[in-house]
Amino acid sequence: MNTGTLIATLLASGLLAWGVTDVREARAVERAEAEETARLLAKLMRAGRLVIDQNQTMIDDPHKGDKGFTPDVFEQQLIVEFRKETAIDLRTLAATPSSILIPPLAKELLPAFVLASKEVVREAQVVINQRGIGYKNFIPATYGSQAARRFTGQSHVRLKQTTLKPRNPKNEPDDYEASVLKWLSGRPNAQAYVSELTDKGRTLRVVMPIYYVKDCLKCHGEPKGEQDISGYPKEGAREGDLAGAITVTVPLNVGNR
Amino acid sequence: MNRRDSGVGGVNAAPRWALLCVALAWLSLQGCGLVYDALQYVAPAATDELDAICRLQRVHVGMAVEPFRPFVFPAIWTDEGSRITGLDVELVRHIVDALSQQCGRPVTPVLHLVRFRDLFLQLSEGKLDLFVSAVPSNVPAPAWAGFAYSIPYFQHGGLAGITRRPDVSDRIRQRLQPPSEGVPGAQAGAQVLDGLAVAVQDGTASQHYAAANLKSSRIVRCDSLPAAFESAEAVVDQGIDVILGARPVLEYMVTRVKKEWQLITQADGKPFFLTSAQYAVVMSEGSYRLRWFVNGVIFRLDESGQLERMRARWMDESYAFPRRAAAEGLPFDVEKMVMHYSQGACRADRMR
Repeated sequence: MNTGTLIATLLASGLLAWGVTDVREARAVERAEAEETARLLAKLMRAGRLVIDQNQTMIDDPHKGDKGFTPDVFEQQLIVEFRKETAIDLRTLAATPSSILIPPLAKELLPAFVLASKEVVREAQVVINQRGIGYKNFIPATYGSQAARRFTGQSHVRLKQTTLKPRNPKNEPDDYEASVLKWLSGRPNAQAYVSELTDKGRTLRVVMPIYYVKDCLKCHGEPKGEQDISGYPKEGAREGDLAGAITVTVPLNVGNR
Repeated sequence: MNRRDSGVGGVNAAPRWALLCVALAWLSLQGCGLVYDALQYVAPAATDELDAICRLQRVHVGMAVEPFRPFVFPAIWTDEGSRITGLDVELVRHIVDALSQQCGRPVTPVLHLVRFRDLFLQLSEGKLDLFVSAVPSNVPAPAWAGFAYSIPYFQHGGLAGITRRPDVSDRIRQRLQPPSEGVPGAQAGAQVLDGLAVAVQDGTASQHYAAANLKSSRIVRCDSLPAAFESAEAVVDQGIDVILGARPVLEYMVTRVKKEWQLITQADGKPFFLTSAQYAVVMSEGSYRLRWFVNGVIFRLDESGQLERMRARWMDESYAFPRRAAAEGLPFDVEKMVMHYSQGACRADRMR
């Protein structure tokens, strides 16, 4: 090998190695950003469910007509709950510089989920504000189903509520979700979440567990099999049991181009 | 002198030109008919209400926003959004399925949830193609005149009464004892409610019945059946003795929701009906083809035993309506629903 060929070979190898490192780094950054975005989205949805839960008694009050639970009121409460959970203020999100803790994707998707949620609350106004009707089935789960569906319809990220034995067939877990839920159900209640690359690294899946709290047990607790107010058999769950999960599916781009 | 300079000639010229114009217009109109026929041949325009439904692929259906369980349950939220369910909603589903088949393409129901008393108004204004909400087809009332009713889809829909006071129940039962002598008159049914405070729902058959027959009762007009319950339960003395309404609705309420209330029965325990009624779909008098169509759907449902299965499913089975609403309920047009539905209140009938 002459000197010229050697130099050319070394140069080519160096460029290739530099390129590979660059792609690896970009992929790692994208994954980290996607994971943080997914985690924040799941937390935002959990905060939305919590807001509905906190207003449940008022929503189901048959003696009150206009409940005043408007999309704007919901948004304000959602912002408060989300800030408690993440220390991120959604009102100043646009002006906040992007970082690994608040990735650009999150700055785009978190407001989109807030909008989708507000749409749901807006559409539910006619149901919520009926006077003389008690239980209206506007509960964390049914809010979550609609908010997730609307958000997913408007973005490339899929948001879903799922559980091993869903009441709504559309919330049936796929194989991946089912395997994670089975794994989680044998473990103690924790704030942890599962994050994994699937589809040969092309998709990031994040699964955030939801656990039963006291208020859930009116419909999901004992006695198992007895019909609850909405007509479904109670699951016989206890406080702290795994209720299901919020799952986020984010398609990744780097390395697939 | 040319014609333009002549005043007389000018005056005479105008009618001639006008005549010419009229003649030309008349000739053109003849042509219009031919053009219209040609267009009809190429792309037929809607000729009746059924064609219009097919062309628009939408049927506007009215339903009462006040619940008439189990025919119409309250609007509820589900995983799929806001939904309405009940026996009448299932009937609408069958009608819409048949319409889709008839039209050869999917027809979507646009549900208008409005107050019961406004359903007739909206139909007469052409905002609805039909409405269905446990409406008896044989109520002689001016507000219900001028509309057409389908063949019945539900029998045994007559008026009955409920009370939660045993003394009222006993008193009525005694009055219903067969007389020792003579034959009871035609008003015997209504007379058993003499001296009692009777709640009726505004605009429904019960109110029209009360107006025509209950001359010696104190009538309380309520905006809805839930309002009657609320009013009766809020005041114990001088309140409401009896709630008058559709028997299947009252029966559903006292067996599943308001178990402290009971149906008024005869001395031998048999149900006490004030009237006999069958429920039908309401349409405009001029909607001949739609009426034939709806009658055909109901006839086939009856003949196949489906109507009876629907009745048993909603009247006899144990179920919770939110689950059925999620599985089979129909969405409704939020824009066409009263924004803040209130069950309303009750008030003494001052018209009497």
